[in-house]
Amino acid sequence: MKRWLPAIALGGALALLALGAVFVLQPGPDLTDAERADAIGRELRCPDCQGLSVADAPTGSAQEIRRQIDELVAAGATEDEVRAHFVARYGDWILLAPASPVAWIIPFAVVIAGVGALATWLMLRRGSDAVPPERPSPEARRRLHEEVEALDA
Amino acid sequence: MHHLRWLLVPLLVIPLGWLLLTGFARDPREVASPLVGQQAPAWTYETLDGDTLSTDELAGRPYVVNFWASWCIPACVDEHPVLSSAYQRGGDELMIVGVLYQDTPADAESFLARYGDAGYPHLIDATGRLAIDFGVTGPPETFFVDADGIVQAKQFGPLTDALMADHLARILPSAAR
Repeated sequence: MKRWLPAIALGGALALLALGAVFVLQPGPDLTDAERADAIGRELRCPDCQGLSVADAPTGSAQEIRRQIDELVAAGATEDEVRAHFVARYGDWILLAPASPVAWIIPFAVVIAGVGALATWLMLRRGSDAVPPERPSPEARRRLHEEVEALDA
Repeated sequence: MHHLRWLLVPLLVIPLGWLLLTGFARDPREVASPLVGQQAPAWTYETLDGDTLSTDELAGRPYVVNFWASWCIPACVDEHPVLSSAYQRGGDELMIVGVLYQDTPADAESFLARYGDAGYPHLIDATGRLAIDFGVTGPPETFFVDADGIVQAKQFGPLTDALMADHLARILPSAAR
């Protein structure tokens, strides 16, 4: 059982990773243009607000970005193309969620590494406990015997 | 295994130290512009004077685009003389274009009447479209465009004479002025 512990831990962590990937990459349901525009607006940072999305902010910039999103979506732009339109102006800063897949993978990778390290550590610790104590050499036993006898005398 | 324990300290301390150093060394509100090194946005806008100005009229000439607002105090007030003086010294070689950022023409005119009007045009960006095309997050922000229409520098926050000279050196052929 102990031998299989790291393999089981690794398998579990991989399953977790796959589940995360399915969650992140799942295709969305069919949306209307207005719903798609609103969803994109929720992913974009309002340029002149504190921590608000374009969809939630009342400022002039947010209104103009919402208007441009509506315009682009109505013209048939994909969600990636709309995001790219604003990234070309503001950089990745405009995205409230990270664009790089690495950022999504890192938490799962950390969990896998942590579970693996814990499993390895547990296995090594149990392994070291299981090593039987070394038997004293005949010479040591003879000296011990002599010392006990000397004490008794 | 035990002899590797000493590695734990640098492994934890170095990345943490690096994160803190890089994090505190920069202004979190400052956004690096992807426009630097790229073609500047093209535009045509009405000015405060009632004229129309477009990038076509600036072709072949270096220019500075300064996003400002009458309510942007003290930063826009502080940098105003820097822009005015650069415009006066620049002559035909340099164009400066102000852009009203979420401001009304009446308030902008009051600002210019109070703090001085060097005579360069100010665009009325009523919808904020031009500010978005330049990726502006709040005034003052200033873009330096060379004679080929390429954005060579962006200033986040107020300009000083030294910053102005440094940025102009990137777009003016006669540079260090």
